[in-house]
Amino acid sequence: MVVDELDALREKFEGCTAVAFADLSTKMILVTDSHSNLRREALDALCEEAALLLGANGKPALADKPSGMASVASTSQLRVFLRAEDEPNDVLCCICGPKMDADKFVADACACLDRISSGE
Amino acid sequence: MSEPNALAQKLAVLSAREVVDQTGARMISEGGSPSPVAAILREVDDTVLERCLAFRCDGTTVRIIAAGRRMRGILSVSPKSNADVIGQVLSREDPDVVQAAHDLLEELCGKAENMTVRSLPSEPFGNSGERGVSALGLAELWGVALAEVDSTPKPPMEQFLTVNAPAFSSVLHICDGEIVAKEGDFAALQAIWSTQVEAFREAHKKTLRGEEAAQLICLDGAFDDGNSAALALYEGHVALISYEAERFGAMQASWQRIFA
Repeated sequence: MVVDELDALREKFEGCTAVAFADLSTKMILVTDSHSNLRREALDALCEEAALLLGANGKPALADKPSGMASVASTSQLRVFLRAEDEPNDVLCCICGPKMDADKFVADACACLDRISSGE
Repeated sequence: MSEPNALAQKLAVLSAREVVDQTGARMISEGGSPSPVAAILREVDDTVLERCLAFRCDGTTVRIIAAGRRMRGILSVSPKSNADVIGQVLSREDPDVVQAAHDLLEELCGKAENMTVRSLPSEPFGNSGERGVSALGLAELWGVALAEVDSTPKPPMEQFLTVNAPAFSSVLHICDGEIVAKEGDFAALQAIWSTQVEAFREAHKKTLRGEEAAQLICLDGAFDDGNSAALALYEGHVALISYEAERFGAMQASWQRIFA
């Protein structure tokens, strides 16, 4: 189940505080991890941010082409947004603490999204 | 804990500039600045009570015994090295050993992009009367510009751009609307700055809820040449960057070190 995949990713990384699976075509969060306590407005904002950064409708946020992965680091958070390779509307939105090992997290989150998106 | 050790620990904490992990390792050279050997000598120069300084870079650890702002010698190297100078007390009366110490440090650390140090309790090394050579003396003998190292911290954005410069193929740094620095193929960045950035920032602000003082926004593979785009924001500073995707993790880590 999707929620199990999201829970597994969140549990693997101590600094990860929320993981959500979203559909860019409808700009809706479909599933969150089972411990997430984000309110609906926060989820909507997260999805809006994903749509902007990943370039919904093929429009790049900046530069030449839409990205498959985007992130926003602030002093308190690292938010990571990933798009499935084969299903461009399937995206993962992740909220992490600032001290996360970004490379490791992105690699695991990509694998997680691939499994969800391919229905494994 | 003995009094000297407690005092040494306090001194180490007081002089700590950037604690980077739970072991107390501090980043002392980033992006080759200051040069790793200069950074080593600065640490030796800051060490009054006898300590073992463990310097780490590129998977190599060099442990140096220092006391009284002098380097007594190189205690060990890991992975193991058979260099003769390891275990020998440095002395001005034996210039070959002093030079060999320099050559070994240059070989192991000279090209390192980053270096950390941990201050550990000292270990038995040589005879107590063998005091080694002062950090300033070594700087002079080795031609290291220790005195010229500017210890004043650079402004955060400048620090971030300097540390990560090897990862960038081009940069456009703007402060309060004025271009203050440009590197590489900045014409493409300038076009993005004038046609896309303002609209993007407005749209992005609408998705945020009352944040955020400093931001690093990364867009993987956003350029046609395969490079990724980043927008770094801090106070009146905006840096538009084209960077190599594989440097993403290192950029994130340095961003957190500098801004968090």
